[in-house]
Amino acid sequence: MGSLDLNSLINALVLGLSIASIWLLAAIGLTIIYGVVGVINMAHGEFIMLGAYSSYLLQSYFGLPFLLCIPASFVVVAAIGLVIERGLIRYLYNRPLDTLLATWGVSIVLMQAVRLIFGSDPKYLAVPALFSSNLQIGFINLSVFRIVVMAVTALVVAGTWFLFYRTRFGMQVRAVTQNKEMAASFGINASRVYMLTFALGAGLAGVAGSLFGVLNIVLPTMGTAYVVQAFLVVVTGGGTLLGSVFAGGLTGELQSIFAAVTNDTFARFLLFLLIVVFLWFRPQGLFAPRSVRR
Amino acid sequence: MAGLLEIKDLHKSFDGTPVINGFSLEVTEMTVCCVVGPNGAGKTTTMDLITGRQKPTSGTIHFAEEDITGLGEHEIARRGIGRKFQVPAVFRELSVRQNLEVAYSKQTNALKNMFVFGDAAMKRKLDEIAALANLTERLEVEAGTLSHGETQWLEISMVLMQNPRVLLLDEPVAGLTEGEIMKTARLIKQLKETNTLIVVEHDMGFVREIADVVTVMHMGTLLAQGTIGEIEANDRVREVYLGSEEH
Amino acid sequence: MNLYHNKLAQWAAYGVFFAIIAAVPLFVSDSFLLNQLGTYGVYGLLALSISLCWGFGGILNLGQGIAFGLAAYGMAMTMQMQTQDPESNPIPPFMLNNSLEQLPALWEPFWSTGLGITLALVVPTLFYVIFGNLMFRARVSGPFFAIMSLAMLSALFTIILDMQPYTNGANGITPPQPLTILGTPLDPYGPATYWLVCGLLIALTVGAKLLTQSKFGLLVQAVRGDAERVRFLGYNVAAYETAIYALSGFIAAVAGCCWVILVQYVSPAQLDVSFSVTMVIWAGIGGRLSLLGSMLGAFIIQGGQSYLGDALLSTWLLGLGAFFIIVVRFLPKGLAGLLEMGLGALSSGRRPKQLEPADRANAMAGE
Ligand SMILES: Nc1ncnc2c1ncn2[C@@H]1O[C@H](COP(=O)(O)OP(=O)(O)OP(=O)(O)O)[C@@H](O)[C@H]1O
Ligand SMILES: [Mg+2]
Repeated sequence: MGSLDLNSLINALVLGLSIASIWLLAAIGLTIIYGVVGVINMAHGEFIMLGAYSSYLLQSYFGLPFLLCIPASFVVVAAIGLVIERGLIRYLYNRPLDTLLATWGVSIVLMQAVRLIFGSDPKYLAVPALFSSNLQIGFINLSVFRIVVMAVTALVVAGTWFLFYRTRFGMQVRAVTQNKEMAASFGINASRVYMLTFALGAGLAGVAGSLFGVLNIVLPTMGTAYVVQAFLVVVTGGGTLLGSVFAGGLTGELQSIFAAVTNDTFARFLLFLLIVVFLWFRPQGLFAPRSVRR
Repeated sequence: MAGLLEIKDLHKSFDGTPVINGFSLEVTEMTVCCVVGPNGAGKTTTMDLITGRQKPTSGTIHFAEEDITGLGEHEIARRGIGRKFQVPAVFRELSVRQNLEVAYSKQTNALKNMFVFGDAAMKRKLDEIAALANLTERLEVEAGTLSHGETQWLEISMVLMQNPRVLLLDEPVAGLTEGEIMKTARLIKQLKETNTLIVVEHDMGFVREIADVVTVMHMGTLLAQGTIGEIEANDRVREVYLGSEEH
Repeated sequence: MNLYHNKLAQWAAYGVFFAIIAAVPLFVSDSFLLNQLGTYGVYGLLALSISLCWGFGGILNLGQGIAFGLAAYGMAMTMQMQTQDPESNPIPPFMLNNSLEQLPALWEPFWSTGLGITLALVVPTLFYVIFGNLMFRARVSGPFFAIMSLAMLSALFTIILDMQPYTNGANGITPPQPLTILGTPLDPYGPATYWLVCGLLIALTVGAKLLTQSKFGLLVQAVRGDAERVRFLGYNVAAYETAIYALSGFIAAVAGCCWVILVQYVSPAQLDVSFSVTMVIWAGIGGRLSLLGSMLGAFIIQGGQSYLGDALLSTWLLGLGAFFIIVVRFLPKGLAGLLEMGLGALSSGRRPKQLEPADRANAMAGE
């Protein structure tokens, strides 16, 4: 336990930004799947894991450069998400607890399948030398790769925002989330919107995975580390894009500051307690869509 | 004489959109007060405000001289206000009998109810009310299998099992057949002997049958109040409401 | 009338089940096997607790490891302190390795066996009362409660892992000697311990079964169906939810104590998320609406897993996951629901076919 001087406070804030970007990146796919489709996707961590493995596969067997692995992982995991949505999830809409459980089943299947195929030993993703260097600005020290993660997160958030608020597809999505029946009467196919949104959310988890595979080692169990945190971001944010951005930023910074004063694990515990108390006052989260009426 | 239920200058807005605009109402004990008005007038919202499902933006609600504004749903229900919802809300997975048992809420304490395995007074009341509502034959079936009319009656029976002083019935005859409507009207007249009722209804024939007082709501305010004859003769009511009705 | 819904037939089934599990030590002489079968009693208790909370109360609890783990730690601490001496040797060895020079205050109450066991049961239950009350009063429910319980569990997991000097971190606590009660050591491999666990399982199952038949049990099921409607009948829904959640936590706490008595070991693994989810899978596959079904689900799944062994673990889990998906999708009432349908078909064989709930649900979905 130490007091916080100005330098270490600034350091903590910068680090917090990095943590926030990681959590937000992990949470963004989850947010849109929850916010639009209303599904609590417990397999989200495994989608992240699949993103890491597809990057690994593409890199070590097809020699794809890392930067191309990121969009490629998006495509691969989005395709897997599409199959899962069509084959299972779409039958469980309106049964929120059951979707939660079924996606948990999916997460077990994916994890064990990957373990059977790739084994339990860790895999590594290679990145350009530049990415593995460190950047020193004054007293602030940050690895270049973390800056890459921040950039990708910013890009993903901007892209998602653009898609949802500036395109025809986004308009359809919003119509469906606000009033499914009315949207249907305008000829919008809700089932198709759900399918594409689910695939998109899965694909974004894939992007996160190919980056997290560099931050950490690639393991069949790597997804579980992110999924709880991602959920807290979504719950705190209330399931909207804006909510998740704020919640991710806030929790990331708080984690970093708490960690600077105490330690990493205790900070996490403290943060969780804070979220519980926050939810007690605002169960609908930071920015919740209007509740449904009876 | 002071009313059993007194609503004073009630306001409610959702996200800045006013839905109830200074609505006041006084309901006398042992009468049937019918609330009518066009779709979206705020009738259901008023029920929500009385029963604590929504908190008013301003205004007060008194029940038996006690201020109940802002109390929790269960606290208001315990004071003797029972409610039937516009969209019938019964426990579909439970049997009709179990639905009625749940509604019998003399003992509400969770810990004490762990040691309650059906009591004689409850059983008597259950049989009585089931007979009243023609549900005796259907007691053992799952509530989800009931017809629409039966479901409406089951929910009214549940409200009766609560033994409330005031019954709020939100569209109790919506979707019922002519015969069922007449039976419901008879039931309500019978209940008036011992209870106070507030009935939201669009069916003017039914209202004519049961109402002591009719209150017309429009855009969240009280447009007119009086006997059914006065209301039907009122020009403004004809303009905003009755003219648009098929009845 | 479907035999499945006949109360007498249900009690008869439970009676047979109790008789069989109680008779096990008469036929099993291998003490190692008996000990392992004892741990199945622990799984049974956990499945029972999940069935009560999730099956009857509709509260999906993905963090049952909280009560199980906390109680297990409490019991392990009690057993550890039984082997320490206040005068000559007051500090457990792992603390000395972590260079603690004094027994932490947290550990002091565990000098007393009675107080230690009481704490092991009361602390988790109280925790559930507080956490449940916070959540349910704020009307956090359904999937959100599931997520919060999961997050709470992982928060606890990290904190126990982190408090190395007090909890021995990832290594956990291994009390060197069996629990001694009233001067007699309770041999974890002997029939007495098996019967203790078995007796607790029977007693708590009977209690839970009675509870589901009480007015409280009925209300809890009503809350599962439509919590909001129950409020307007005058019941404080949060109190009911908290009560059923805490009771299920208490049962899990008993399971935690039994676990440590049987295996003389506790580690953060008992609070691992995947173990808590496994409990839900037992109940889901066995049939969450049936206490007995959930317990049998636990026995079948854990039995299958240990029969196949570690070599095939991944394949087994893969199959289990796939089967769980199938159950969620097609058999929401699990294997017990299958039995219900079978007996239903048997009893209505001669009468005109009535619409089964499942058919009705399909018919509604088609609308
Ligand atoms: N929770 C809510 N959020 C936003 N708007 C609401 C909410 N509840 C009600 N409203 C709005 O308030 C207005 C009044 O609704 P209310 O349901 O009270 O009408 P009503 O008189 O019961 O109509 P009906 O005869 O159709 O049942 C409607 O325009 C409705 O859209
Ligand atoms: Mg209405």
